[in-house]
Parts: sequence; C-alpha cells; structure tokens
Amino acid sequence: MITGAVLPPEQLYEAMQRSRRRSTRRWRLFVSSPGRVAASVIVVVFALMAIIGPYLYPANLPINPRKIYAAPSLAHPLGTDFEGTDVLALVVTGARYVLFAAAVAAVITLGIGTVAGLAAGYYPRSTGRVIMRVTDFVLAIPGFPVLVVLAMIWKFGSPLAMGFVMGVFGWGGIARAVRAQTLSLRERGFVEAARGLGLPGRRIIFAEVLPNLAPYIGMNLMLAVTAFIYTEVGLFFLGVVSYTTSNWGVMLNNAVFQAGALTSTRALAYLLSPLICILLITIALVTLANAVDEFFNPRLRRL
Amino acid sequence: MIEVQEITRTFAGRGGLLRRPGVRALRGVSLTIPDRGAVCLIGESGCGKTTLGRILCGLEDFDGGDLVVDGQSLAALKAKDRARYFRRIQLIHQDPYSALNPTRTIRQILDDPLALRARQLGQDGAWVAGRRDELLGLVGLDPAYVLPRYPHMLSGGMRQRVVIARALTVDPEVLVADEAVSMIDVSLRLGILQLLRDLRDQVGVAVLFITHDVATARYVGTGGELHVIYRGTVIERGTTDTVIQHPVHPYTQCLLSAIPVLRGIEEPGAARIVPTAPLDDRQEPSGCLFQPRCPLAAPECAERQPPLSQLGGTVQEHACLFPEDRPVVAVPAAAAAD
Amino acid sequence: MVRVPRSSRSGGADTVAAAPAGITVGQPDADARLSGPAAVSVRDLTVAFSTPEGLLPAVSHVSLDLDRGQITGLVGESGSGKSTLALTLLNAVPQPGRVTSGAVLIDGLGDVLGLTRRNLRRARGASIGYVFQASQNSLNPLKQVGKQLLDLGRSHGESDLRGLLRRARTLLDDMGMDANRVLASFQHELSGGMRQRVGIVFALVLNAHVLILDEPTTALDMLTQASVLEIVRKVHAEHHLTTLVISHDVGVIGDLAQRIAVMYAGRIVEEGPTATVLADPRHPYTRGLLTAMPRITGDVALARPLPGRPPDLTSIPRQGCVFRERCPLAMDICAAAEPPVTKTEGGERRFACYAAAGETP
Repeated sequence: MITGAVLPPEQLYEAMQRSRRRSTRRWRLFVSSPGRVAASVIVVVFALMAIIGPYLYPANLPINPRKIYAAPSLAHPLGTDFEGTDVLALVVTGARYVLFAAAVAAVITLGIGTVAGLAAGYYPRSTGRVIMRVTDFVLAIPGFPVLVVLAMIWKFGSPLAMGFVMGVFGWGGIARAVRAQTLSLRERGFVEAARGLGLPGRRIIFAEVLPNLAPYIGMNLMLAVTAFIYTEVGLFFLGVVSYTTSNWGVMLNNAVFQAGALTSTRALAYLLSPLICILLITIALVTLANAVDEFFNPRLRRL
Repeated sequence: MIEVQEITRTFAGRGGLLRRPGVRALRGVSLTIPDRGAVCLIGESGCGKTTLGRILCGLEDFDGGDLVVDGQSLAALKAKDRARYFRRIQLIHQDPYSALNPTRTIRQILDDPLALRARQLGQDGAWVAGRRDELLGLVGLDPAYVLPRYPHMLSGGMRQRVVIARALTVDPEVLVADEAVSMIDVSLRLGILQLLRDLRDQVGVAVLFITHDVATARYVGTGGELHVIYRGTVIERGTTDTVIQHPVHPYTQCLLSAIPVLRGIEEPGAARIVPTAPLDDRQEPSGCLFQPRCPLAAPECAERQPPLSQLGGTVQEHACLFPEDRPVVAVPAAAAAD
Repeated sequence: MVRVPRSSRSGGADTVAAAPAGITVGQPDADARLSGPAAVSVRDLTVAFSTPEGLLPAVSHVSLDLDRGQITGLVGESGSGKSTLALTLLNAVPQPGRVTSGAVLIDGLGDVLGLTRRNLRRARGASIGYVFQASQNSLNPLKQVGKQLLDLGRSHGESDLRGLLRRARTLLDDMGMDANRVLASFQHELSGGMRQRVGIVFALVLNAHVLILDEPTTALDMLTQASVLEIVRKVHAEHHLTTLVISHDVGVIGDLAQRIAVMYAGRIVEEGPTATVLADPRHPYTRGLLTAMPRITGDVALARPLPGRPPDLTSIPRQGCVFRERCPLAMDICAAAEPPVTKTEGGERRFACYAAAGETP
C-alpha cells in the first residue's frame, strides 16, 4: 500500500543524485513552493534590515516638529511619528534590537534545553534526575512576570542582555521535550547497537541521537524566535522596560499611549508598521519551520 | 565458547497503590554456545527468549547466575568492565529499519565501529576501507551500490545484511539473531538464514537463533541445537532434528502441533495436541510450570517442577515427569511431487 | 445482474445501464444474486496510483471469484497488491489510488464500486466484515470494547442493541474468551491474539456474510496463530460465510484455505484448489516460493532462495511477464507480452505463464 514515500527504495538514491547534480540540494527546500519563496524573501529582507539597517541612517534620527504625524507621502512612505521622525526609518532601525534579541534568546534556549534534554534522556537515572529537578524549577518560574520585575532593576539597553535573560528562563519546555525524545530514541535498535559495538556515550549522543532530533530542534528554533519576539515586544509595549533605544515594541507603545492610535486615525501608519512587520516575520518563520524539518530529515524530502 | 549458567531475571513489579507482581522472565536458564555452533531458542511470546538474548548482548542486566565469556566470569566483574566482553556478542534485531540510523549513510554506519576497531588494532584508514568492502562482500552486498545510500533507500533484506555486516566489524564470537527474518519477505528469508549458516564456516562465528517459527530453525546449518523455553525455563533441548521429529515434552508437542500444515504437500501429525488454556502470566503453579495448560497432566505434575533430565531414556533432555514421543509434527504427504 | 453507474471511477462518463424496473439506481439490490457458485466476483479489476512517474497499477486486470461457503486464500509478498485488492472489495482504496477499470460484484449488493456513499457505509459491516491485522490497533484506544460495539451498532442504525451485545457475547464465548472482561477492557489491556479475535467479532456482529481477513496472524506467535485459525474455521462453518484470507504466509493459507490465489506484482499468477496448487505448482513463481520457503518438512538442502527482489510499484516491468526477471524459465516471448491465462482441470485451476502452458523457446 502506498503510504509515505512515493518512490520505491531503490529509486530514492538516483533521485538524490539527480538533485545533487543540480548544484545546491537541500537548500532548494526553502524555495520549493511560492509560499516558501515569499517566506524566504521576507526573512532575508528582515535579516538585512537588522544587520545593515542602522548603518543606513544617522544614530539620532532627525526630528521634524513641523511634520508630526504626517500622512504617508513620498518623502515619508509610512508617515512620521510624534516627533516628526520618519516611520520607515524607525522600522528599519528598530528591527535590529527585536530580531537580534529574539535570535539570541532562541539560541540560548535551544542550546541549554537541548544539552540538558540529551543528557537527562540518555542518562536517565543519575544525571537525568538532577537535571529534571532543575528543569522543573525553571519551568515553574513565571517567565513574563519575572522579566517585568527584572526590567525594573535592569535597563535592557542591549539586545544581548534582553536575549540572554529571556533565553535563560525559557529552556524548560525544550529540555522536557528533548528528554522525552531522547528516552525513546535510546531504545531504538541503532542506538542499542552503537552501545553494543562499544561506541562511547558522548559520541552516541551527538552522532546518533542528535541528528535524529535535528528536525525537531531546527523547527523549534524558528518557532522560538517568534515567541521571543512577542515576549519582548510585549514588554516594551507595556512600558515596563525603560527604552533607551528605539525598536518596534517602543513604537507600538508610543503609538498607543502617546498618539492614542487606538482612538484616532492620525497615527495609523505609525501603529500598523511595526505590527505588520511582526506579523510578516512570524508568518515567514512558521512557514519555513516545515522546510527546516524536511531539511534535516532525509525521509521527508520529496526530492 | 559462551556459557550461560543458571541466569535468572525478574522484572520488578510496581509497589504502592498500583501493586503489580514482578514477572519472572528467566528462572535459571543454562546453555552452552559452542564455537561456530548454532543454538536455537524456541518459545511463545513472553517466554523469556528475547530477554535472554538481550542479557547476552549486555542490553539487559541479570539478577542471578553467571555468563562466562572467553573463560571470564562476568558476574565477577563490575558493570563497566563487562562491556568489552559483551562486545563479543552482537545482536541482530528483528526490525532492520530501526536498527540503522536513518540520518546516516551506510558508509558512515560501518565506518563508526571500524574506526574504533582500527584504533584498537593500530590500523589506518586504508584498512578501514578494505575491511568495509570485505564485510559487505561476505554478506552478499555490492559496496559501490550500498555505501552511499541511506537506510531507507535499501530493501528490508539488504538492510538486514548491513546490520549483519556491522555486527561483524567487531569480530564477534556470537551473533544473536532475535527474530531476524520475521519482518522480511518470505522469498528473501532463506537468503538471510543461509547467510548466517555460511558465516559460521567462513568467519567462525556462532549463532544464537531466537524465533517462534520452528521451521526457520532448521536452516541455520549443521550441528544445530534446539532449546524450547517456557516461562523462563528450558523444558526440552537436544539436536534440532531430534526435538522436531521426536519431541517428548507436551509443550514442545503443542508448539509443533500448532505449525500450519500445507495441504497437498503435508499431512498433519497423528497425535496433535493443544494447550487447554491460554497463558496466564500471573499464575505461579506449585509444580510443573506447564501443568495448568497441559492436556496430558497427571496429579503428580502439580506437586513438583521436574528438572531437566533424560528420564525415560530419551536422547534429548527434557523437564517432564511422563515424557512420551508423540508424532505431532507434519509429515510429507504420501505422493509429494517435490 | 444489476449494473450501476460507474461514478466512482476515473475517466468514464456517467453511464447508466438499463436497470431492471423497481431497482433504484445506487441502491443495493437484495435480489442481485450472482449466478453460479461465486458470492463475490472481482471482474478485470485495475487499481492505479498517481505517482511522479504517472498512473501506475498496483492491481492489474485481476479477476477472482470467491465461492460461496469457501475459504479462499490470497498469497502475496510485499508489493504484490494484495492489500490494495482487499481494500477495493470495500471500495476503500486510499488516495492517491483509484479504481481505473473493472467491477467488484457482491451477492445482494451489486457492484460495490458503484454504490453511493451511504449504501457503501451500510454495506461495510453489515454485508462485508473486514478484519485488520492485530498489530494495526484498529480499535479505539480511548474507548472500551463494549462501547465501541454499541457505536458500531448505532452507526448502522441497528435498533436492537441488546441483541447485538448478545451476539457479541456468544461470539466471544465461542472463541474461548471471558466476554464480560473483554467487553469492559480497553484495547491496550488485551493481548495480540485477543485483539485479533475481537476484530473478528466486530466484523461478524452485524451478520455479514462475507468475511475478509487481512494478515490475521502476522505478529502472533505459533500457539495464538493456531487458535485464531481454528476460530476462523469454526466461525466460517457456523455462520456459512464466504471468507477471504490474505497473507504473506503460505503456511497459513495452505492450512486454512480451500482455494489459493497467488499474487505477484499486481496480478494473479496462479489459482486453484490449495492442495493441488501446492502439490503441483504450475507457475514458476509459485514453485520458486515453495522452494524458497522455510518449512518444517522437506529436505533442507533442496531449499533455494529466489533471485532478485519482489518488485515495487514503479519497478514492475511495463511490458511482458512481470516475473520474467527472476524466472528460471524465461524465454523471448515472455518479454514481448503478458502471458494469457490458461485454464486447466475443467476450469478449476488457472495460471498465467508461457512456459507452463507448453510454449517452447
């Protein structure tokens, strides 16, 4: 009965070879459908925005008191804010903090979570028990309120700091999930065989178990970035974090509380611009999460 | 030579609120696997044969008894020192797919243990490549075809051969084949069975063949022994032909009676018997373990568990108080056009 | 014979053959008796799957009659198309598969492939009982067995649910199980053998007259297998069923079935009474399979593995005999066109092979 793969085993290798000859192989997964092409473009654009955006504008964006909340025009495609600063400039320069912090947080979360989960899953009795106590503790910490409290003491001026704190409190869930998968992989034939053949534990964890978790981890990396974007934007929006830099969250805060964007249409562009950016990057990352899964999983790839 | 001496293994039950009794998976099993030998373990599911196989490979701990490998008693060693002895016994799993890492190519799968071996023997990369080709040739696979592929690009029979090749990378003494052919197409099973038979001669490895399909036990080569396990005890053992053609223990006779008979080629055995009740794991009989299900049980059978002996002057050893050779296995039909 | 519109097939326009007066098209016809001994008649059935390489047949021009009151066995390895054929009898071929030609006529129902969705649903269970493999866990893990039985009854509009349970209890008792315990259990509390038996009860509880068993004993050990086979025999006789058993295990079919059909690469290559086919196989595949099969009797030294591998959907040769690449008797003519079906022994046996039919190279 035809179930998953549409090619019989013998022909999969030829298919893989054929696509290999066409230069790039797995990267084509990210452009394999119109949706994914759009998503990839979005991610690339925002990544560029984050990296080179601030260099395209002066450090202190010019204010123009005569053009407060100006409507979109050629000079200011997205209008201006309460100080007359160009909204487009704000969006472009505001990307770096948000995206960088989220990326740092995602990497830290997945880094700690994966290592903790792997160790706890592969050595469930001794090491595992200790790690799971710590994990339970971390999971029990209410992330968002803690961040609010910390924000009062610590000015999150640097996205690195923000990312670090978010990441350090957020790895509990990943650790649990990775541990569960490691526990089940541990019983799989090839892991037992590796033990029987005398391969050392560390090698088994990183060469046998981890590659099988790569799809899950890659996918969760994407989704974690979106979750962290929401977290920090939420913090800024609530005004809890004192803002020393401009970013999307700050823009939202200003738009709603200063300009009353929810009650009048004056600063609509000011409000919508960061929102749409957040929406776009989220949709793009979620769309690509599937592609990441296929990227790491040789069986899912419809080559 | 591997000696199994009175191995016992009990899986702990759950205490507390959800009280469940422990399961005595093995109750003192002894057997010897001679060099280049073939020992077959037959039994129903849950009889302990898989547990014994896993204990032999070091994947499961044993509670009592001893394993003697290369003259070394493993019970006397600490867990971490046992590893190098367990490496002499390699497992061929039932499912060839889950036995190979789906994210690695066959070349990588074979190179890992070979690289380790090379370091032990002070050899280099060229040796690894040569040995890899040699082993693939031994199991009947073309290196050029197989090495660059991932496991899901090979058929079940080929995967199982790769598993065997990988097991041979560490120069084992025994291959434990646990239902090694049950997930492979019927027309390909014989190939794997004959491969195991041939490896006994070519490489000098012994085979412990664990299965519930008695017929396959006939094909692992000459000098084969058949051990029948019931609820963690060996209840009959002897040469394969003797136990199949002249079984004396009622349980063995029930197993052989249950083998489907091919109409037209075979006739059913004259004296087939069936157990009187299904297996009840929780029941601990006072005497013979099979007595609650035995269609031929006598009152004495409930009094004591018979030990393995040749009571009644039988050729093979058995654990029955009233052994009798009954014709239960199918026989070739009168006018077989084979 | 009632002809119903071929609405579920691909490619054909809706053709309505003249239906006898009083028969509403699409309704099962209780008087649609098949003439002759067959209770189920598969006629020239082709089921194809959409693949990147085009529409490929998993079952190709298969004709098979299941005689009333007989147990017929269908033997095939993986890729032979036997499971697809079995599912077609229920018109349950999964996507991307489609029936591209042929008919499946069942006594009292007409052509299963032409039934409306509602009538098809009614037919499944009420006329045709399908038993899945024990290992496929086709029971709902979250509901007790008894409750699922009641669900089954209710979804078939069964008014007498108490009678349904009584029938189930009788069946369970006949199979040597504790009916009360089983009905109160969840799927995971039952052993493989018990699940298989429960599956049979589900298939029969609505008084189906055709029973299809798909790999009934795979993953079961010898003793459990023997008891399941015994139960199938018993139930078949007591309820006067027409039974089809599908298995890759020649032993199971050889013991249980009165007629055997051997499938290879989507075609039936040989068919006939079990005893004669096994004692005197005409098709080289059947012969090769019997020689390559581990058996409890027979000379071990005479066993020979079959060269090559059973083909997959895309590696089935498009032209000529599908078995020729593994066949010791292959001739030039075998590559040219598929061998025609030869009938012998008064139509009791048939096979499709040039060499067996007497062609010489």
